Order: sequence, then structure tokens, then C-alpha cells
Amino acid sequence: MATPIRISVEHVTKRFASGAVTVFEALDLAVRDGETLCIVGPSGCGKTTLLRCMHGLAAIDDGRIVIDGTEVRAPSRKVAMVFQHFGLMPWKRVRENVAYGLELAGLPKATVQERVAHYIEMVGLRGFETSYPNQLSGGMQQRAGLARALAVEPDILLMDEPFGSLDALTREVLQDELLRIYQLAPRTMVFITHSIEEAIAMGDRILVLSARPARVRELFQVDIPRPRTVESVIAHPRFIPLRDHCWRLLRERAA
Amino acid sequence: MTFHRVGVEVDESRAVGVRTSRWRRLRPGDWVVRLGAIAVVLGVWELFGPTLNKLILRPPSDIFRAFFELIANGELQDAMGQSFRELFGGLAVALAVGLVLGVASGRWRFVYNAIDPLVSALYSVPSVALVPLIAVAFRSVGDAPRIATVALFAVFPILINTQQGVRNVDRQLLEVARSFNTSERRLWTDVILPSAMPYVLAGVRLAIGRGLIGMIVAEFFIGLVGLGYLIISYENVFRIDRMFVPVIVVATMGILMMGFVQWLEGRIAPWLKREQ
Ligand SMILES: Nc1ncnc2c1ncn2[C@@H]1O[C@H](COP(=O)(O)OP(=O)(O)O)[C@@H](O)[C@H]1O
Ligand SMILES: [Mg+2]
Repeated sequence: MATPIRISVEHVTKRFASGAVTVFEALDLAVRDGETLCIVGPSGCGKTTLLRCMHGLAAIDDGRIVIDGTEVRAPSRKVAMVFQHFGLMPWKRVRENVAYGLELAGLPKATVQERVAHYIEMVGLRGFETSYPNQLSGGMQQRAGLARALAVEPDILLMDEPFGSLDALTREVLQDELLRIYQLAPRTMVFITHSIEEAIAMGDRILVLSARPARVRELFQVDIPRPRTVESVIAHPRFIPLRDHCWRLLRERAA
Repeated sequence: MTFHRVGVEVDESRAVGVRTSRWRRLRPGDWVVRLGAIAVVLGVWELFGPTLNKLILRPPSDIFRAFFELIANGELQDAMGQSFRELFGGLAVALAVGLVLGVASGRWRFVYNAIDPLVSALYSVPSVALVPLIAVAFRSVGDAPRIATVALFAVFPILINTQQGVRNVDRQLLEVARSFNTSERRLWTDVILPSAMPYVLAGVRLAIGRGLIGMIVAEFFIGLVGLGYLIISYENVFRIDRMFVPVIVVATMGILMMGFVQWLEGRIAPWLKREQ
């Protein structure tokens, strides 16, 4: 039985610099309901741009992007994004940052408070509610960024290299947390990363992009069962073959 | 259309006096050094000043006595009342005009283009040169021309800093706000104004210094009143000890008001504090 498609990118072209730079051209891809689709590709190939287009933050030049049957034109409340740069407001405390999307959605105060407490707890930030972002480590800041996105309880999560700027140890802790959170409540997720290991650990499928203009090199299943932890994924017999396969795809430059 | 979206390069060098957070807060040890430095200057002045020039460099103890004389005969209070009316009136006008024009020109290209040449021209001309024009324009009636002078001196740092603060808003944060479906009003309160706040406050600090100068200049040129009048009249009769009293009052005002803004910054922008 085919799983329904949540996000469908159809023949999408995106250019910058008044058309001088083509980021991708006639790109097609689909994100299935409940899956985590990991996107890997060389730096500068257009991963962030693709995610911004999916969220309606950047206009596309051709084709269309459809989420749940509706063409994307502006950010929708069904979708939330976690940013590589965390994107926390320095003047808001952790609590206010996490509450941000909920307040903008106009939810009643009591609901906001309840959800903020719940998601702060979930990402392990209890005790830091009244801290300002600059008082937190990078890992803690991204926990707050994650809680802010989760708090609006989006149908779809867009993650742009969320752990890319963290140290290896913190990254693995947060990967495990995210796997755990996903297991609690599976939701559709597009997860961009430049780490092959991370893509295998987080993804149900992996999409490998070529250098700019980005084209789909290959799309394949990660046949490692859930529930997962980073450790269990690395220990899985499929891990090494998948990683080598990915490496080969990324190394072979399209002529 | 906004600057952030059309990608105009921002010239940060024009936003002056934005401090780095490391120096923002004073620690107890800082006060010892500050007060110590003042004590050393006063001590040297007291001991050696009169040996250099008995008439001009009157020792601080004489000035201290003059201070109480001027309070006793009520001159100082009268002059301070007059001068501070001009100062606070002028600063209020400068704040209102500077904030409104700064925000508008930081956000809308049209306003920026409309006022930038004028602002640059007026900011480059020494403000003193424009005081006679103000005197004529306001027909030297009441406090209005002096308030206008203070405002002229003080408005540009506020205007330019506010403008740069609004223009320098983090584009990534603007995108975060859009990603969460912000309204225009919330965009201002959540992102643009808080991010401009340190620039605005730095502008206000500079405006206080310039405003005090404007106040004295206005009192020299337009009507001879207030602390400026005290300075001129006691200088003319070589009562240098008394002449120094209003000078020191102005200096003290500067210190107190800038300290107040710094304190205010800690209150309304607490995120700038960072534990060392
Ligand atoms: N706002 C923009 N204006 C112009 N060019 C851009 C913009 N954003 C990205 N680009 C260009 O598009 C390409 C893809 O960028 P990006 O999507 O950030 O890559 P990735 O996230 O894969 O590293 C890069 O060459 C980048 O310089
Ligand atoms: Mg990127």
C-alpha cells in the first residue's frame, strides 16, 4: 500500500542574482507521510534554498511545491522550521522563545504556558526557562530552537542542518533525543545534513543531491528498523554498506 | 519594500558609539578607579593650579565655596531651572524627531532617500553655525529658540543610530519571524525594535553630551539666560571661582544623565548583560 505524499516538489526551478545563478532546475521529489527524508549534498548545492522554498520563505521561478494538496506560497502554520543558525531572539528568554510560534498563532495564554513547559521538558531545558540565549551553550540553544518548532505541533518539520554547528558529542546526544522524540510522535520531517552518518541515523530515506545546479543523484531507503539510537544504527550491519554507498555517490562528480 | 529585502549594504561606521557588551556594566572596582581619578585631578589642581595662574586656576576649594554662595543667593537654582527646562525640552524634541525619522528612514527607502542628503549636510555643518538662523527663525521669543538649538544639537546621533539599528536588523531573525507567520506589528515588537535598542541608547548617550553643549551655546547666543549667562557674567567680572560653578554643574549633569541611560539600558535591554 502506498503511503500518501505530504510534500511534492514538481519540476521546481530556483534562480538567484536575477537569473544568473541556477540553484536547481526542474527538480522533482516527494516526501511521504510520517517519514524522515534526509537530504545530503555538497555544501552550497542549494539544500537550504530548497527548504526555504518548501516553506514558502523563498519564491520559486518555475514548477510548483504542494503540501497536502495546497500549493505553497507563504509559510503555513502546519509547517515549522529548525534553523542551522538556531534563530533565537537574543532579547527573549528561553521560555519566550519557545512560546513565540504559539503566541503568533494566537493560542490562549494557558495553552501556551502548558505547551511551553511540556516541550521545554521534552528537550531537556528544564531549569533554563528564564535564561537568555547568550547564556546557553550551542547545544542548549538548538534545544530551544527545536522546542520552539515542536511547540506549535506542526504536521511537518523542516530541519536545516540543525546540529551542523555543534560539537560531535553534543550532536550525538541531540540526535538521540530527536530519535526518541520522533518515536514518541512520528511526524513528517525533512532533515538536511552534510553528515552521511547523521542521514543514515535519522532518515527513513536519503536523497543525495549533486553539486549546483542540484539534481537528484539517488534516492534510497535506509533499511534499518526503528526504534533507533545512534549507537544501534552504527552497530547495524547495514550501516557500513549504506555509508559507503553514500560516499561513492557524493564523490562521483557529475561530469 | 524594505531594505532588508532589497539588500542595500549597511554602513555600520555611521552608527557611532555602539559599545561592546564587555564594557557595558560597571563593577565596584571600576568606581574606585573613577572616583580616584577625579580625586587626583582635583588634588593636583588644588595644590599646583594657583601657582601657575592665580587668577584663572582658582583652587577647587574656592569653587566649592562659590557653589554655596550661588545657592545662598538663589542664582544657581534659578539658572538651573531655566537651563534644564531648555535641556529636557530640547532632548524630548530630539528624541521624538530622531526616533520617528530614524525608524522611518531605516525601514522605508523613500524616507531614507528623502532625508539622507539633508541629514548628512546638517550633521556635517557645525551646529553652532546654525544657531543665528534659529534665533532669527524663532524671533528669539521665550525658550523656543533655545529648545530648538538643543534639539538641533542632539537630534542627529539619535536619528542616525536609530536608522542604522533598524537597518542592521538580523535578516536571519526576520526570516525566523516570517517562518512563524508574524504580523507586521509583531515583527516590530519582537524583532526590529529590540534589535535596534542598543543603537538607540548609544545615540541617546551621545545626544545628551551634544544637548548640553547646545544648551550653553544657545544661552550664549540667544538671550543670555540660565547657566550660560552665569558663565559669561562671572567671567566678565573675573570671578572665575563662580564661573566654574555652572561649568561643573553642566559636567555633573552629563555624568548623571549618561549614568541614567546606562542604568536604563540594563533595565530595558537586560539581554545585553552577560555574565563574565
Ligand atoms: N539569498 C540569496 N541570494 C543570492 N544567492 C543565494 C542566496 N541564498 C543562497 N544563494 C546561493 O545559492 C546557492 C545555494 O545556497 P544554499 O541553499 O545556502 O546551499 P546549501 O544550504 O546547500 O549549502 C549558493 O551558491 C548560494 O551562494
Ligand atoms: Mg545550508
